[in-house]
Amino acid sequence: MAEQQPGQGFRAGLLAAVPIVLGYLPIAFSFGVAAGKAGLSLPEAGMLSLVIYAGASQFLALALVTGGAPLLVAAATLVAMNLRHLLYGPALMKQAGPGAGRRFAWAWAWGLTDEVFGQALGALARGQRFSEAYMFGLGLAAYAAWVLGTLAGAWAGGGALEAWPALDAALGFMLSALFLALLLSVLNRAALPVVAAAVLATVAGTLIWSGTAGILAGMLAGALVGLGRK
Amino acid sequence: MNADLILLALIVGAANWAFRALPVLLLRRDLPPGGTLARFLAATGPAAIATLFTASVLPQLWPVPRDALPLAAGVAATVLAFLPGRSVVTATLAGAAAYGLAFALTA
Repeated sequence: MAEQQPGQGFRAGLLAAVPIVLGYLPIAFSFGVAAGKAGLSLPEAGMLSLVIYAGASQFLALALVTGGAPLLVAAATLVAMNLRHLLYGPALMKQAGPGAGRRFAWAWAWGLTDEVFGQALGALARGQRFSEAYMFGLGLAAYAAWVLGTLAGAWAGGGALEAWPALDAALGFMLSALFLALLLSVLNRAALPVVAAAVLATVAGTLIWSGTAGILAGMLAGALVGLGRK
Repeated sequence: MNADLILLALIVGAANWAFRALPVLLLRRDLPPGGTLARFLAATGPAAIATLFTASVLPQLWPVPRDALPLAAGVAATVLAFLPGRSVVTATLAGAAAYGLAFALTA
């Protein structure tokens, strides 16, 4: 493991994860509630968070499963959605510099979500030295918050918010807000034609065929426009 | 527990692990910036997210528009909250809060 300096170990990682934990808990809770509404049991909701651990994918998995999408179509859609994670590890290690420890990356890299990646990259950009122990602390706290928040939401149940329609509506919009925020985080001039093609193809595919066809058409059109650009 | 749901979770979870861990373990050099793989990866993420955002709000706009004001408030708050610190979590929570508030005020 890379040499550690004070403030760069496991405990520092746990502390750095506090803002992520505070954000993950309500989003994971709303996923647990949504899973309950979709007819999933508490173990099934918890299993999705434990095994998939990708918020937007999990919300979409609920929509695809309850919408009757074929297993392979659902899996391909969810996998395609997370392809962006391929870039996180190399970007992080580039910022960490040569000689940064990778020995336990098979474990800590599981926690490289959008927010954990952003937090770790920000710490390195501010001059902190890379340590695998820090990555473990950062990732573990966020992962635990995600799983526990899901279990709490699923335990509260799909009918838990019937008495609070505004809160129910807010949690219902959480997924759209998450997608929009993620889109803003990856948006730049080069991505604009890709995004425009994806949006147009999604609308056209949905209006002409179905929601599932719209999602596939959008992803395909955006990726093809990106491939065609020099 | 539903067997199809477990299988779906295992496929997607395995892919997620591979996407996050394998590049750190195997890729010791940067991808050529203009290469086909780099361009494909750079385009797929934004394409997927833009698609999913569109698909998530489309049912509120078509065929019968509903809750247009909460939707506008939620979108505006998400964008405005993202701009200062570029935090996905803060923007998500702000967007959801604005949507819920507008929903309560217009209900």
